[in-house]
Amino acid sequence: MKGLWLLALATVVWNAEPVAVRLVPSEFRLYRAGAAQQFVFAAEYADGSTRDVTDAAQWAASSVAGTVSESGRMTARWAGAVEVTAKWGRWQASAQGQVETAGGDEQFRFRSAIGSILTKRGCNSPACHGGVKGRGGLKLSAASLFPLDDYEWIVQGGAYQVLSAQAKGERKPRIDRQNPEASLLLQKATGAVAHGGGKRFAVDSDEYRTILGWVRRGAPFGPAEDETSRVASLEVYPRILSLEKAQKHRLLVTAVMENGRREDVTAQALYLSSDKATAGISEAGVVNAAALGETSILVRAAGQAAAVIVGVIGEPVANYPAVPRQNFIDEFVFEKLRRLRMVPSALSHDAEFLRRVCLDLTGTLPPPGRVEEFVRSRDPKKRERVIDALIGSPEYVDYWTFRFQDLFRVAMFANGINAKWSQMYGEWIRESIVKNKPYDRMAWERLTAQGYDGPTRHFLPYDVIGSPEETMAEEVRVFFGRRLECAQCHNHPYETWSQDQFWGLAAFFGRMFKMGDTGNEYVVFDHPLDEAMGNGDVNGKIQVLHPRTKAELRPTLLDGKTVMATGRENPRKALADWMVQHPYFAEATVNRIWSEFFGRGLVEPVDDFRSTNPATHPELLTRLAEEFRRSGHDLRALMRTMVVSRTYQLSAEPSATNRADRVNYSHALPRPLLAEVLLDAITTVTGVEERFTTTVTAAGNVTQRTPAGMRAIQLREPDVFHSRFLDLYGRPNRLALPERTGKANLGQALHMLAGSIYNEKLGAPEGWLQQQLRGGATDASMLQTLYLTAFGRPPELAESQELLGALAARPDRNEAWKDLVWAILCSREFAENH
Amino acid sequence: MSSSRRQFLTAGSLGFLGLSLADLLRAKPMGKAQSCILLWLEGGPSQIDTWDPKPNSAFQPISTNVPGIQISELLPQVSRRMDRLSLVRSMHTRGSDHPQGTHYAITGHEVNPAMQFPSIGAILAKETGIRNAMPPHVLAPQWEKARQYEDYFRAGFLGPEYDPMCIPDPSKPDFQIADLSLPKSVSAAAVENRQGFLQMVDRRYRKLVDGAEHAQMDGFSAQAWKMLLNPGVREAFDLSKESEKVRDRYGRDAVGQSALMARRLVEAGTRFVTAAGFHSNSWDTHAKNDEGHRDRLCPPLDRTLSALLDDLKDRGLYDSTVVLAMGEFGRTPFVNNDRGRDHWPNCWSLAIGGGGIAGGRVVGASDAEGAQVKDRATSMGDLFATIYKAFGIDWTKEYDTPIGRPIKIANSLEDQTGNPLAELF
Repeated sequence: MKGLWLLALATVVWNAEPVAVRLVPSEFRLYRAGAAQQFVFAAEYADGSTRDVTDAAQWAASSVAGTVSESGRMTARWAGAVEVTAKWGRWQASAQGQVETAGGDEQFRFRSAIGSILTKRGCNSPACHGGVKGRGGLKLSAASLFPLDDYEWIVQGGAYQVLSAQAKGERKPRIDRQNPEASLLLQKATGAVAHGGGKRFAVDSDEYRTILGWVRRGAPFGPAEDETSRVASLEVYPRILSLEKAQKHRLLVTAVMENGRREDVTAQALYLSSDKATAGISEAGVVNAAALGETSILVRAAGQAAAVIVGVIGEPVANYPAVPRQNFIDEFVFEKLRRLRMVPSALSHDAEFLRRVCLDLTGTLPPPGRVEEFVRSRDPKKRERVIDALIGSPEYVDYWTFRFQDLFRVAMFANGINAKWSQMYGEWIRESIVKNKPYDRMAWERLTAQGYDGPTRHFLPYDVIGSPEETMAEEVRVFFGRRLECAQCHNHPYETWSQDQFWGLAAFFGRMFKMGDTGNEYVVFDHPLDEAMGNGDVNGKIQVLHPRTKAELRPTLLDGKTVMATGRENPRKALADWMVQHPYFAEATVNRIWSEFFGRGLVEPVDDFRSTNPATHPELLTRLAEEFRRSGHDLRALMRTMVVSRTYQLSAEPSATNRADRVNYSHALPRPLLAEVLLDAITTVTGVEERFTTTVTAAGNVTQRTPAGMRAIQLREPDVFHSRFLDLYGRPNRLALPERTGKANLGQALHMLAGSIYNEKLGAPEGWLQQQLRGGATDASMLQTLYLTAFGRPPELAESQELLGALAARPDRNEAWKDLVWAILCSREFAENH
Repeated sequence: MSSSRRQFLTAGSLGFLGLSLADLLRAKPMGKAQSCILLWLEGGPSQIDTWDPKPNSAFQPISTNVPGIQISELLPQVSRRMDRLSLVRSMHTRGSDHPQGTHYAITGHEVNPAMQFPSIGAILAKETGIRNAMPPHVLAPQWEKARQYEDYFRAGFLGPEYDPMCIPDPSKPDFQIADLSLPKSVSAAAVENRQGFLQMVDRRYRKLVDGAEHAQMDGFSAQAWKMLLNPGVREAFDLSKESEKVRDRYGRDAVGQSALMARRLVEAGTRFVTAAGFHSNSWDTHAKNDEGHRDRLCPPLDRTLSALLDDLKDRGLYDSTVVLAMGEFGRTPFVNNDRGRDHWPNCWSLAIGGGGIAGGRVVGASDAEGAQVKDRATSMGDLFATIYKAFGIDWTKEYDTPIGRPIKIANSLEDQTGNPLAELF
């Protein structure tokens, strides 16, 4: 049956009729006369592709409530129901809507009237005045996120300073109410006076007239922003777009207001293509596919940003095969591949799969016997069975303890400068992995830890309580996958994180304190309010001050909810409750775990979620997060879902249509083994242990060695156990952001040729090689074992013939074998997981 | 542009170092300085007992060979070479404990767990590039303990190619550079054989999966092989090529031999060397400050710094080599209960000269006790800008981190860019 499945062919007929058509949006509501709504007429085809035929269709409105233009833009006239209909050939689609005018005419608001011009013309983009410090003496918030600030900077002048609330330098108003035409804002933008940003609009333009009229009326701000005018989020249709070369497609941009109303801002948005060579975009938001590839289009409007992924696809694949699907991961991944006209590679061979899954789940190579047994087995469920055997095994526990020790930064100097404490903290992680503790629980324990427990020690870098802002930024990076550090000193340049939000969150960590009187033993707690603890330092009057305004900060969640601290309550509990339930938490976690198995995150880098860094598969990310929450934040279940998918089990060998793909999982992505895993693998192949040494011990100037049998992944204080090898291969510094590079470098190359790891182990008498040679093993049997151990596969016939021949040609057998084992350890096939 | 043709011809062989042709053809900095030696006074010297003598020091000021400049009597040999070193007596920095202070002094930034800032050595290595196949950035000796300090000297987001090559203590009899010469058990012929096997073993895999990374690794391997076979590189690290007299003159301890190593490396083409021989003889005199400075700290500094200045002059390297002697901060103007002096970043002193930076001048002044800056507060950003200027590097440059945060290469206080010390040019 399986064979038949693979042979079944989906029929794709080039230039076929669509299978369906529809209008987007299919329902709409406009709130005043003059408001507009753009529509897209989408024709959908059997191969999953969509074509935008808006401009080719005939448009009509059913009532006097509105009129609709040739390009599918409806403008509201009177209150009432209205149906918009579009015809294209023999196809027809419609959308139902309502116009309401009870709210009266639109009120003037600075943001929507002036801010939107500054956005559309790029004035407030992060590269210009929207940068952290502005440009040329004028600072604006990115995409007019903070209209009141922008208003002040334009009307009164002054520029933002990072570390002070004082405006810097001379305050130079950008408008002139006495002589409106002389306003700098207009003169600069029209190029009448020198402007680093060039001419942004002409004197004879709507923008010019709008701004001039506004200055003539006295440059009001309008009513204060409220829930009807503040934008909560931006939605773009479509989120993923596949186009053939030279095809065009219109984007629709909708602002969702805080009160839930939806407003079409397609005409006000600013569009930027990350790679114009692949796909360009017009000022009106029409994408134009230029060359094969994938890029993103960034959309900015109303203080927000969003992104669309555009794939420019090749020729249709004749006889695109039906690819079997194992679970929902495959549905999302293969559906996108189909739309991108790439065929997934074949399923991996058993040996290829086994090595990959063992390394990914346990950081350990499969033993030769297991490889042979697995390849021989005819059990149709053998892959699932081996996955279930690996998950929860002792090696799994070691490996995931190691991975979370990296993430949670277990290191001596990061945990109070005391090996006892990094051990304790590492042990808390290990126990959590052993018990498969729900991850929300693990996060909650780390966020709220008080007393002497393991996770309290992560608050003690260099043996002092970390500053509230650093601790908070770290927790947000780890659990939300977001980098907030920018907002420490200024509003985030690309995101809607404000400096106030940053410090509001930081204030949750503002009362943390350490205390103890028996030498170096102490507890971590949150200082009670207005209560002396007898340590003479403070009496509870602990304040966190805003660095610019110097105002006292109250712990405040991102949604603006302030948590009033009471007496002895641990304020971090409220924060932890909120964090683990926030959608960011599950999304960041599943993305992080995904990257461990697929070589990159759906959002990449995994710690850099932002609206301008879109996921390659947004729906898949959402679904994985949902499943993760539904499972009770079960890490093992999450990992199992990933590794049983066919996507994970595809071969690393690319096919004709997917060779160039690096981001769509059409084939397994080879990636370097982590430094520790590589070193352990070398130990396994050579049979010669690595003993790490340190001179930083409780006993003082004594060199301490790690115990026999201890693996590199089991080291808890990597900062004090020196290893040139691990440093060269990218062991991260856990005292700072633990980023692994693992990139090839000159040091690695020198180490391979001349370093101890690659040379001393070969001649060691206790090692596998010397034992085999002494024991009189044949070249053929040694080669077989070596290949199974290192590569998880037997040598192919041609390989063994060539290698056995080369070995036999060498006069000194011992030397020849040392050279061969060296070559295996240095090979890419060994050093990568594939 | 007469050299561009030659650069063009050699460019191919450097491609795998991560340097593109464009990098090589870009105009190189045009300053006098070609290299920099940092004599790292780990632990933090007492300013009033070294470069900025005051009545509250136990030691007397002495005159130098530059009229008007006096330094502590503990540095008599340097006093006779004052025309080759200038003093900054108004350093004002951040970080009052060793990790924070060292990080600040070496990167110009306060510690931030979210960011690994590049050290000044890494920045100079990046801006000036590789000379004569020598590693551009070296630190000697590496720390036996407290290895987090070593991380501060690394390149951070600039990438591992600009990390310092950290080598052991060159004063030790068993001194050997890891990975720069083939182990005795491996002959050059064996390496050929190994490469042959490697090709056979990896052929199948490389045909199956594509990899830009593979070509990159091959490039590094070719370069590594070249370095291992180039006697010039290995010899640069070989102190036995120096006369006994020179070795004695520098001093046979870690301080002296690291500085001698620095001179050899700079001569061979290295851009930035940290001579960090004071690890096991730290300036951190929380107890018995005066005995420490008098008996175990100033004598090796006086001896080695003056030997280095003479040697650079003799070998024609002084005008192309910036010499900087500093620690991570100064020490308190008052003594504690243990007759020691504690950490003091508010106001401290350092010595700098060579590579086009004038000697025999004094920048800034402290108050009567050497406690606070009286005149011309100098930030780490100002110092870095001075060094960049000597190299002809634009000190107002900013690097973008991978997440797009601009990082000043000469970061002064309050988010300002440092300014070169005009008095020193």
